[in-house]
This record gives sequence, structure tokens and C-alpha cells, in this order.
Amino acid sequence: MKELAGRLTAVDPDAGAAVRVIAYFDALAEARAGLEALVRGAAVLAGCPARLVDAERRVRVRVEPDGRRRDSDLPPDPAWPSAALAPGGVPALWLERAGGAEPSVVDAVILERAAGVLRLVLDRTRGRAPVAPDDDPALVETVLDATAAERDRLHAARRLGLDPDDPTTLTRAVAPLGGRPRILRVSGDEQPAGLPEGRVGVGPAVSVLGLPGSWEAARTALRFTAEGTARDPGERVVFADDLGGIALLAELTSPGAEPPPDVRDLERAAADSPWMLATLHAVASTSSLRSAATAVNVHHSTLQDRLIHAEALLGWPVRTPQGRLRLQLALTMRHLARG
Amino acid sequence: MTMIPPPFDPELAAALEALKDMVPRELSMDDIPLMRQGPGIELLARLDLTMDGFFEVEDRLVPGPEGAPEISLLICRPTAPVQRGPLPVIYHVHGGGMVVGNNRVGVDEPLTWARELGAVVVSVEYRLAPEHPHPAPVEDVYAGLLWTAEHADEFGGDAERIVIAGASAGGGLTAALALLTRDRKGPRPIGQVLMCPMLDDRNDTPSVHQMAGLGVWDRTANETGWTALLGARRGGPEVSAYAAPARAEDLTGLPPAFLDVGSAETFRDEVVAYASRLWQAGGVAELHVWAGGFHGFDGLAPQAAVSRDCREAHVRWLRRLIGE
Repeated sequence: MKELAGRLTAVDPDAGAAVRVIAYFDALAEARAGLEALVRGAAVLAGCPARLVDAERRVRVRVEPDGRRRDSDLPPDPAWPSAALAPGGVPALWLERAGGAEPSVVDAVILERAAGVLRLVLDRTRGRAPVAPDDDPALVETVLDATAAERDRLHAARRLGLDPDDPTTLTRAVAPLGGRPRILRVSGDEQPAGLPEGRVGVGPAVSVLGLPGSWEAARTALRFTAEGTARDPGERVVFADDLGGIALLAELTSPGAEPPPDVRDLERAAADSPWMLATLHAVASTSSLRSAATAVNVHHSTLQDRLIHAEALLGWPVRTPQGRLRLQLALTMRHLARG
Repeated sequence: MTMIPPPFDPELAAALEALKDMVPRELSMDDIPLMRQGPGIELLARLDLTMDGFFEVEDRLVPGPEGAPEISLLICRPTAPVQRGPLPVIYHVHGGGMVVGNNRVGVDEPLTWARELGAVVVSVEYRLAPEHPHPAPVEDVYAGLLWTAEHADEFGGDAERIVIAGASAGGGLTAALALLTRDRKGPRPIGQVLMCPMLDDRNDTPSVHQMAGLGVWDRTANETGWTALLGARRGGPEVSAYAAPARAEDLTGLPPAFLDVGSAETFRDEVVAYASRLWQAGGVAELHVWAGGFHGFDGLAPQAAVSRDCREAHVRWLRRLIGE
């Protein structure tokens, strides 16, 4: 028996075969068949290898027409007949039929039915794909917009693949400097992966409807970031969760306004020596002068000399606990004032 | 006793749906002539028996039982055997509910084994019921085995290493053949492969009732097949074990058995019971019950995952039995 396809076409050519293809995939869907069974159905009915490649969900399945699973790392040939899992999406299911001709009616029906059922199974078993950077900016903006109607925000969230009714769905708003806002799906307390390059503020993990608040906090966190260079030492990625009461400083310091006196002192000191800001940042952000010396790669005594010089320029001590706090606040307000 | 049937495996359910017009479910006696001409059997028989030139194929007429017509044996031997010396022989008995089929039906699977293991396949054609009731079919099968054992050297086979195998009615006849060779002190097969075998004419186990009207070869079809073979004696007290092996009182001294069956088919309980009785008689048996399998699933939907597992299990058992 040349397997199912042979028998189907022998009995019912063309249109009849298409009807049976539909019945076959409907029955697979009804019986809640898995991904491999569906790809196998496509391969067997088409009589050529079929493969599913869903990069976002990291799913790759390739099945030979005899039903054998044999995956391949080679990229699919764009000339093969293919189907997307959703209307307008990227091709995800291929029939490895060489020739580049128009797919036959039966091939088209196989692709269409299999892709439809595959999408349902993937949604059921793997969830929707994580929100990707190229997701529709208008939808992302709507979800983040506190002034948008709740109904509109829920609608936009669903279209982005976020389930507002699922209490385990947690998201963080992400504010990159000069980039489009993004939304990251997070699970538990784990660090979100896939943050953009450069300066980034990350909002707290919230439910879908809490995203405008997370976005607000992400933009505040962004103001606390720095380039991480000698001229602009500091953290490139700042989580709003880690700011605590320091976040209140952001409200007191508006970008572009006249900087507070301590920030002016800092700028004057910075203009004096190229090492100044990095050295002071090291003192403010490490637990001891010894580790500060290590961080800026100088001898302990050199650091002492530098700090005596810095204290003279600033007009306040940096080696006492109070002085260190004042230094840390000044460095932070410098970021905030810069805007 | 619940009558809720076990569900079919998802892939098998879909295949069954697609093939439902071609497979017998509630076969009646009147349907037999139609089924003999139907596309199902014809397609099952339409095979490349050489398997791309691996086998050379011969149809051979050999003497039947005493006073009966000659029978046809299909002999498939590897054109380039990997081993020197005589090859193991797989003696195949086709299925078809005792009422349809020929020696091509279902032979694709033994050919696959033989290609894998380096063996000769001999597939026997027997007279069909109801025109030829018991004991005609099993006597033809026995006569074919006698000839095969006596003439094995003519086709490069090893008479000391014959495995008998069959599916469905062919499985029932294979089990009967094992009993017959034991009792007549005939050729001794080294193993018996009973794939979803048809063993019990009483047609009354829980699985028979559970699967009525479902899948392939249900209770009605089964009654038709057995009645064709046994007439009014079906289900009565006078049925021979050589017709219905489930009737055998004594299951000692039989060759090692491989048995398998689907969990969602008429024959499930009689096959499980037969395997248990083989063990109780001190015999060697391996039983596989394939979850969600309908009758003959691995032949009708060979690409399904469960079918692949099933077919691999056959080869693995045979390799343990006859492998070097």
C-alpha cells in the first residue's frame, strides 16, 4: 500500500482528494493530535517531505513521506510551496516539492488545512510567541497608554498575544533610549531576556492592565541610566524595581532646568581631570576604597591622592559616609538633569 | 462493565475517517462478493513484490491436502543474499476474515522483515469460506508448510528456521497451524507471529461488545467471518481448536509466540487471553497491546507513529529470534 496518499488519490482523484484532505486534518484536530502527527499528515498526503519551522517558538519538525521524522538544519527553499500559520504571517509550513511550479489544488488544501490546525496546536501547547521588537508599534503604544480606554488596551494586548485573563501573564514595559517602546513577557522573577542594546529603563513586572504604570516607571528608570563611559559612568540598564526611594529624585530634577549646586560642582571637577567622573563613580558605587581602586585600575595610594584632589575641587568630603551619600546623589542628579 | 470504548489514537482516527469507505466494518454475508472485488483488497495486493529488485518472485503451484486442488505459493527470495548458506524462511498466511484475500494481501510487511533480516518469504494461498469451510483453509495452509519444509533447499531456505506469521484471519490460521504441526509432529516452526489474530469464534468477549459498530472488523463482521468458516457450528460446543485456537485445551509445547493487538479493536480480549494462557502453559510469548489501535491499523495507516512502533517491534522480536 503506497500509504494513505496513494490510496486516497487512487480512489478519489483531484477534488475528491481535497475533500478527504480536509476530513483528515479535521479528524486530527478533533482528536487533539500533536505537531508531529500534523506535519506527518501533510507529508504523507502530499507524498513529499513536509517541514514546520516556527522560529519564534523554536519549533522545527520535518517528516518524510513514509512518516519518518528526520529534521534538517538546512534552510527551506523559498521556491517550495509554503503556508503561514496566520494570515499575512511568514511562511512556516513547507512542502519540499522542487520545481517551483504553482502548487496543485491538493497541495494548497494540505498547506492551508495543516497550517490552520498547527496554529491551534501551537497556541494551545506553546502559547503565543513572545512579543517581538517588530510588533506593531501602534498596538504596543495603545497597551502602554494610560489614557486609552481599558477596552482598547485589552484588545491591543490580545492582538499582541498577551492574555489579559491569565493571571500568570506578567509583562514589563521597556524604554530604550531613542528606540520604540517594547513589552517583554516575563515569568516569575527571572531576568527578562532580549533587552535592546544601549541605555534601557525596565519597568516592574505587572499584569497586562498595569502596563501603563510599568511604562511610566521604565521611562523614569531610563533617566537613571548612563553610557557607561569615562565621561558618563554608570549602569546602562536600570530596573525600576531597584531604585526604591531614589526614584523620588527624578521628580525633583527636571531635565534641562538649572542643575542643583552639587551637580555644578561635579561638572567643574570633571572638567579638571579626565579620570574624575569614573573615579568618583567607582567610589560611590563600590563597597570600599580598595574595590574602588580595583574598579578604576589604580593603586590604592593613587586613589587616595585623586580623592584629596577631588575633595578640594568639590568642596565636600567623599570618604565619609555622609560625603559618599552626597556624592552618590550628585552623580545621580547629574544623570537626571541631563535628560 | 462499561461499554465506553477506548479512544482511537489521533492519527489512526484521522486515517480511519479518510478510509472508512474502503474498510469493512459491519460486513454481512451478502457483502462478501462485493468485498472480494472492492478496491481495498486490490490496493493491498498491488505491490512491488520485488521491493525495487531486492527479491526475485516466483508463483509456484504445489500439492494441496490429499484429494484437494493444488495451492499457490508466492516465493520471494533475496536476489543477493548477504549471508551464505540457507536463509531463514518466513511462512506468511494472509488475512481477510477467512472470506477474502490472496497470497499478496499483507505480504508487504513480511517482505520488509525479510529485507531487514535476510530471509525468504513464502506466502500461501488458501481456499476461502464460505465456499470452502473449515478445515479447507487450515489444511491448505498446513499443506503449504509441508511443501515449504520439504523443498526449502530449492529456494535457498532453511527448513530448520521457519517462522510462521499472519495477521487477522491469517494470524488465527497461523496459531492453528502451530497447534496442528505440534499434534501431527509435522515441521516445527521456530516461532509464530500472531498479528491481531482472529482466534475465537464465540465472538463474545468484552472488547467484542465494546467495539460493536466501531473501527474495522466489528462484531457483525466477525460473526460473518466465523459463520462462513464454521456454519451453524459457530459458537457452539463442537468447534475444533484447529479452526478457533482459543478453543484449544492444551497450549503446551508450542513455538515461541509474538502476539499483538490494538486496544480499540474487537480482538483485544481474545488475544490478551491467548497470550496469558500460553504463559500459563509454560510457553514463551511476547504480547504488545497498542494503545488506540484499531484492527489492522499498522497496515492501513503505516505512517502513523504507533504503526511505526508496532512494525519496529515485529522486526526487533524477529531479530532476537532468528538474528545471528
